[in-house]
Amino acid sequence: MLKAFACGLAAAALLAVVGVDPSAAHGPSRQKVTEKVEINAPVDKVWAAIGNFQDMSWHPAIEKTEGTGANGVGATRKLTLKGGGTIDEKLNKYSAETHTYGYEISNVDVKVLPVNNYSSTLSVTDAGGKSVVEWKGAFYRGFVNNDPPPELNDAAAVKAVTGVYKAGLDALKKKFGG
Amino acid sequence: MIAHRRDQPGRACAIGESARAATARALLPALVLLAALWLGPAPASAQSEAFVTNQTGDSLSIVDLTTLNVKSEIKIGGKPAGVAIGAGGTRAYLTAPDGRELVVVDTTSLAIVKRVPVGKGPVGVAAGPDGIVYVADWYDHKLYVVEPEGSGVVGAIEVGQSPSGVAVTPDGSTVLTADRDSDEVSIVDARARKRVAGIKVGQRPFGVTIDPSGRWAFTANVASDDVSIIDIAAREVIGTVKVGRRPYAVALAGGRAFVTDQYGGTVSVFGLGSLRSMGTIEVGDHPEGIAADADGRFVYVACWMDNVLVKIDAAKLNVVGRIAVGDGPRAFGNFLK
Repeated sequence: MLKAFACGLAAAALLAVVGVDPSAAHGPSRQKVTEKVEINAPVDKVWAAIGNFQDMSWHPAIEKTEGTGANGVGATRKLTLKGGGTIDEKLNKYSAETHTYGYEISNVDVKVLPVNNYSSTLSVTDAGGKSVVEWKGAFYRGFVNNDPPPELNDAAAVKAVTGVYKAGLDALKKKFGG
Repeated sequence: MIAHRRDQPGRACAIGESARAATARALLPALVLLAALWLGPAPASAQSEAFVTNQTGDSLSIVDLTTLNVKSEIKIGGKPAGVAIGAGGTRAYLTAPDGRELVVVDTTSLAIVKRVPVGKGPVGVAAGPDGIVYVADWYDHKLYVVEPEGSGVVGAIEVGQSPSGVAVTPDGSTVLTADRDSDEVSIVDARARKRVAGIKVGQRPFGVTIDPSGRWAFTANVASDDVSIIDIAAREVIGTVKVGRRPYAVALAGGRAFVTDQYGGTVSVFGLGSLRSMGTIEVGDHPEGIAADADGRFVYVACWMDNVLVKIDAAKLNVVGRIAVGDGPRAFGNFLK
C-alpha cells in the first residue's frame, strides 16, 4: 500500500527543475481507474463504514482524517498517511440516499501520489442483499509537460491510484468477513 | 418570428455601443435579440451523426442521431481528443495529442485518409469555411494552420500559454483560442495569420464557442467555475455567468447556453437574454464535449467517465437519450455532422 503512495519519490526534484506549478497545468490525456469489490453485507452497513467524508479510517494507509464541513458540499479534509505525507481533499457531491460521494484532491505532492487534477467518486450499490463498492478516479499524470520520466508518466499514475483503490477495497472486504 | 427577423437583421445593438458597454446589463438588448433569432425557424436541418473521440479507448465512435445507434467504432490511436467536422461535412478532423497528429477521417467511408504531423500536443481543433483547419498546441503554445488535403502545416501563430479550445467565426475571418494557462482568449486574424488581441477571461478557460452570428464567444473557465461572454468585435468581456464545478465547454441552443460541469456531473443552463441560471441537468460522470443541433432542438454531451453520449431536449431541459460509446469520450469540439 505504502508503495503505491510513495511511488514517484524522485518527482519533487524533477518538478523543481522544470519550475512549473503542478496545479496549474496538465498533459492532454486524462487517465481513469475503476475498481470494485463485492462485500458480504447490506448497503446500509457498508455505507455506515465509508459514508462519512470526515472519517477515512477504513483505508489501511490513512493515519488520521481532519476536516471541516461534515458531509456538506464544499467540505474539506486533510488525510495524513501512515509513514508521512498528506492529501487535501474537497467534497463535490454527496448523497446518503444513493450512497455515493464525489471529491477532488485540492493539494497533494506528486511524491505522495503522482497525479494532477484528480477527482473521484465512491459509491455503494445493492447486489441482492450484498453490496458492491465502486471507486472511480479521473486524473492526469504527475508530470505536466511532454515526455515525462517513467515514474511520473501515465502508467505510473494509473498504477499508483489502482494500488490505493485495491488496498482500500480489500481492507473493506476483510472488515466485513472477506 | 420571420418578420421580426427581417425587420431587424441582428442590429439591435451596434458594435460601437457594445464596445462601450461595461456591464452585462448593457449587453441585454443584443442578447435578447440573439435569443429571439434562435427561437425562429432553423437556418439548417439537424445533424444526423455524431463523431465522438474516445481518448482512453483510442477510437472514434460514429453515432446515428436518428436511431441513437452506434454505426461504427474505428481505431484511431494517439489518444484522440479534439474533433471538428469540416465545411461540407465530408471530413472529420481529430487531434491525437499522444500521436502528435491531426487525423483526417472520411465521414462517408469512415476510412482514415491522412495523418498529418502537428506540433507536440495538439488538443483543440476547428475547421474554417475555406477548408483551413486550425489546431491548438498545448505544449508549443501555438495555433497551427493546416491544409489537411494539401501540404499539411502551412503556418504557426503565437498565442497564449497552453491553448486548448479553438473556434472560427462563420465567415472564416477570425479564429479564437482559449489560452488555458494565460487566463486569456487570443483573437487571431485568419488572413494575416496573426494574433491581434488577448482578452482576459475567467481562470483556466478550456472550451470556446462562437455563436452562429459570429459576434459573441463563450469560454468555459475550469478554475473559476464560470463562463465569460466576449464581444468579439469590441474585444471585451461583456458578461460572466457562474456555472457548476470545473466547466469544460459550452453549446448554444434556443437562446440558451449549455455548459458541461465535469466535477458536478451536470449540464448548467442559462438564458442568453437574462444571463440567469435556468438550472442544471444531471447527465453522468465527467461530462465534457458538448454540441447543439443546427436547429437547436437537441444538445449532445459526451460523459468521459461513464462512456456515454447523452441527448438533451434543449427546450424541456431533460435527458431523452443515452448511447453507449467507446472508453473515455471527450468529443472536444464541433462533433456533429
